[in-house]
Amino acid sequence: MSSTSQKHRDFVAEPMGEKTVMALAGIGEVLGKRLEEKGFDKAYVVLGQFLVLKKDEELFRDWLKDSCMANSKQQKDCFCCLKEWCDAFL
Amino acid sequence: MPVLVEEPALLSKSRLRSDFVAHNVKLHLKHIDHRNAAEFSSDEEEDVQDEAEKEEKPEEAEMPDPSGLTDDDLKAALLRHGFKPGPIVASTRALYEKKLRRLLRSNGHNLLNAAEKVMYSASEEEEEEEEEENGEDDDAESGAEEEKQEAAEQSDEAQPGSSQVQAGSQTVAADASSSFTSPVFSITEMVEEMESRGSLSTSSNTVREFNGSNGQEHCSGSSRLDTPVVDNSSMKNHSVYCTPRTSPHKRGMKPPREPVIDTFKDLLPAETTPTGIYATRRRPIKGAAGRPVQYAYPDTPFSPTTLERRVVERRLVPIHIRFLFFLVMACILYLIYELV
Repeated sequence: MSSTSQKHRDFVAEPMGEKTVMALAGIGEVLGKRLEEKGFDKAYVVLGQFLVLKKDEELFRDWLKDSCMANSKQQKDCFCCLKEWCDAFL
Repeated sequence: MPVLVEEPALLSKSRLRSDFVAHNVKLHLKHIDHRNAAEFSSDEEEDVQDEAEKEEKPEEAEMPDPSGLTDDDLKAALLRHGFKPGPIVASTRALYEKKLRRLLRSNGHNLLNAAEKVMYSASEEEEEEEEEENGEDDDAESGAEEEKQEAAEQSDEAQPGSSQVQAGSQTVAADASSSFTSPVFSITEMVEEMESRGSLSTSSNTVREFNGSNGQEHCSGSSRLDTPVVDNSSMKNHSVYCTPRTSPHKRGMKPPREPVIDTFKDLLPAETTPTGIYATRRRPIKGAAGRPVQYAYPDTPFSPTTLERRVVERRLVPIHIRFLFFLVMACILYLIYELV
């Protein structure tokens, strides 16, 4: 549990509903803004992208890097967060 | 080369391999040319292009530019490289193109390495054969040399080892000799006497002398305390003394030792034995095998500790007197304290 952040735990604890993209672990204000400009304004849209890429880690991380210039740690956090949410609720 | 249009199945294995390699190398080169033209040597390009021009393959269509492909083609290419893509939509297309490029690069490198390995292995085999033929002669020589070296090494090792062993043996011998010198001095004397006399009886004689010298101490000690015993048995001693004297084995006995040996001989049986070997009767174990228990051993010598204790006790005040004295003093002191 110590390896995951509080944000991660909060996101994974319940269905995401209408949560903003900034609720995702690893996605802060700056990255969130960039994603919103691209059209990914809600967490479930990012989830959609994640699922379209068939939950592939490499592809999703590349996509995050390309779309919002997330660094390695941010990519990893976001991927893990979404993956765990899918394991729990999907 | 006459092979222009041939079924791939009819080609020989090596030809297929070389063609495939060449084709991929060519493809790879073509792809690379887009980006870094200067990286490859000219030799490879020339060799490759000669073979590549002769055959055409459908794979050329997908090649160097994934972005020029349709979604289906892109998907097919990815599948060919062993990667199963998801739906190629607007948001995912760029990613899949990037993926394909990565796969092509890695595959090209792998094939190159494999081709090189194949080529090198073939050449290596030839070289190995030659080396083996040459190596057999060399091996014989080297083997002989090795044996010589080993022998030399072994001898070198053995020499220090042997020297060590010799040194050790010498030291051991020195120690042994030194250890043997002092106590064996008497034994050597006895041996010499044996040789001079040249009979077993002499050995017994010398042994008795040895024992006599050892027994001299306690005999002398005992003589002081046990003089009455000696006096009583003087007749016995004489008798004992006489019989050994008359025996022919008694040549080595010296006169001054006679009285001492007499007391010592109290332990010995009066009868003479043909070999002259005397043995003291062993004390029987109490109660063992139905032997009668002998509680009193009048002839047993006293140990030095008992003798000393007796000497000391004679000088000290006896215990009874000490106890009485203590009681008397206690009573006196009690009376004194009561009266005062």
